Amino acid sequence: MTAEMQAIELDAAAQGGARPVGLRITALRRLRRDPVSMAALSLLVLLVLAALVGGPLAAKLTGHGPDQQFANALAANAQPIGIMQRTYLPNGTTHNPHGSLFILGADALGRDTLVRVLYGARISLLVATSATALALIIGISLGLLSGYLGGWVDAVVNRLTETAMAFPNLLLAVGIAVVIGPGLLNVVIIIALFTWYYPARIVRGATIATKGMTFVAAARTVGAGNRRILVVHLLPQVWGPLLVYGTSIIANNIIFEAGLSYLGVGVPPPTPSWGQMLSDAVTSNMYQADLTLALAPGLALVLTMLAFNLLGDGIRDALDPKAGGR
Amino acid sequence: MRRIVAKRLLGAVVQIVLVTLLAWFLFYVIARFTGATPAQRIAGKNATRQQIELVTRLLGLNKPYWEQYLIFLNHLVHGNLGFSYVQMRPVSAIIWPATRATASLVLGAAVVWLLIAAPIGGYGGLRPRSAGDIAGRAVAILGMSIPVFWLAPMISYFFGYQPTQGELLGLPVLPVGTSIFPIGGYVDFGQDPAAWAYHLILPWITLAIGLAAVYIRFIRTLTAEQLAEDYARTAKAKGASTTRVLIRHVGRNIAPAVTVLLGADIATALTGVFFVETVFGIPGLGFTGLSAIENLDYPVITGVILVAAVIAVIANTIVDLLHSVLDPRLRRIGGP
Repeated sequence: MTAEMQAIELDAAAQGGARPVGLRITALRRLRRDPVSMAALSLLVLLVLAALVGGPLAAKLTGHGPDQQFANALAANAQPIGIMQRTYLPNGTTHNPHGSLFILGADALGRDTLVRVLYGARISLLVATSATALALIIGISLGLLSGYLGGWVDAVVNRLTETAMAFPNLLLAVGIAVVIGPGLLNVVIIIALFTWYYPARIVRGATIATKGMTFVAAARTVGAGNRRILVVHLLPQVWGPLLVYGTSIIANNIIFEAGLSYLGVGVPPPTPSWGQMLSDAVTSNMYQADLTLALAPGLALVLTMLAFNLLGDGIRDALDPKAGGR
Repeated sequence: MRRIVAKRLLGAVVQIVLVTLLAWFLFYVIARFTGATPAQRIAGKNATRQQIELVTRLLGLNKPYWEQYLIFLNHLVHGNLGFSYVQMRPVSAIIWPATRATASLVLGAAVVWLLIAAPIGGYGGLRPRSAGDIAGRAVAILGMSIPVFWLAPMISYFFGYQPTQGELLGLPVLPVGTSIFPIGGYVDFGQDPAAWAYHLILPWITLAIGLAAVYIRFIRTLTAEQLAEDYARTAKAKGASTTRVLIRHVGRNIAPAVTVLLGADIATALTGVFFVETVFGIPGLGFTGLSAIENLDYPVITGVILVAAVIAVIANTIVDLLHSVLDPRLRRIGGP
């Protein structure tokens, strides 16, 4: 949504009307009238709220920190308590009517699942958005350069993108993660390393389509250099096409981070992340006894992905010039 | 035509060389500085200095890097992928059976996802905005949003584990101990084709769902586009039934595009394989690669990545070439 606003502002500021600004406004109006997109957007707003304030709030209300382990949330056979159950009495047999409530139960280490899922949203969004930002910086620069300059620069960038796309990327990403070690920053770098080529190809296409337009020639006539043409005139033009893919890139990166964490090379424990919570539940087979352990982080992931995918579809439909104006 | 093939094959060779260079640099050069050296790994923890030096010389690790890379390439060309640090046998002996298992999984899944996607996508393209189309699109977007590493344990739980507890989808309707589908294990095709398919049904479906979603949307768009073309209208006007127009006319025209996407998605499917194989216990490339990563068994990791990347490059190349065979228009203009 902010990117959409920004695109409009950039458009208006950069050049008065090389591209029909009206289309953007129509698109925005269409998007606002689409109930599915708006539902998806509200879900995303909720998700951001959950990430920013939900975790600390739940931790404060329940009194359970995200990494805090409660021995009395485990039965004598090490089985954690389930949904809406309270901690065990010190002798470990019956539930304690006054004990603290675990809304989504506890995990194998006696940690509060709800608090961890909420904190997990933080890692998911943080990693996915920063990796997307990094990928966009790399992709936009390379795409602009290769589209504008053409020639050998274009050829080199093309070979790079083709080879990168041929790789089964998760496999190689895990390999790299093993070699350079785990860590938040490393995860962001690895994900960006495997996603920059989508924006690069989109930006390259948009640049090639735009660079022959009259306003670029006009800018050159009045003495604008290459750098000025690239930054002031061509850069604002690529936001529209990028926006459609932006949501799906973020969605992909969320899955990517969860996948890396699932395989144990993501954000290192005990920081809660959805992928790692899932993998803890699945690899230990603990989820067969208590499905919530796999359902909670899994459904959080599915809902997030669904929201991003639905919003992406909505933006695509809204920007589609062939669709009837509403 | 011959020039197109030559150009495409050259491109594939360049890609594969780039892949080997990257894999070698990552796992043979960088990895040497982040943990125990390969010589140390092979000689063992209690090796003396002389023993380590001997292994270093035997492996050629004292030679300049460019020479080591050429030796690595030379070994690769002869099918020698190195020696596993952990299993103490040649990597190629580990990789080939794994590749067979993974190929069974991916190719079978491709059949499943096409079987799911073709009718749903085709119907959506034929009757856009109908109830069936809306349902199909909802299913597709849901399928796209479910990560395979969550789907795999869920399917294994509901169709493999739960029936053994006497429940079906949470309802206690079965006798305890029923086994509808096996939870894990793998039988080679050569050993018993029926058991092979039986063990792979759940993994096939798991791997296919995410990609079926992508194909539903793709086939729907293509079908709608093609149905708007003049030839489709002509065929309809001449009295061809809807089924005939869809299969004989439209189907033939969208087949090349679907084939190309299929080639690209073999690489995507190889990513999903990682998770499906670990959950269902199939001894394929993903399973092998993951256990190698846990053991920091670099030669095996390198082997798995190389084989997977080479499969992806070959699949893409074949499909690109097939594309110009299937779509004669590409042959004249200059090809892919």
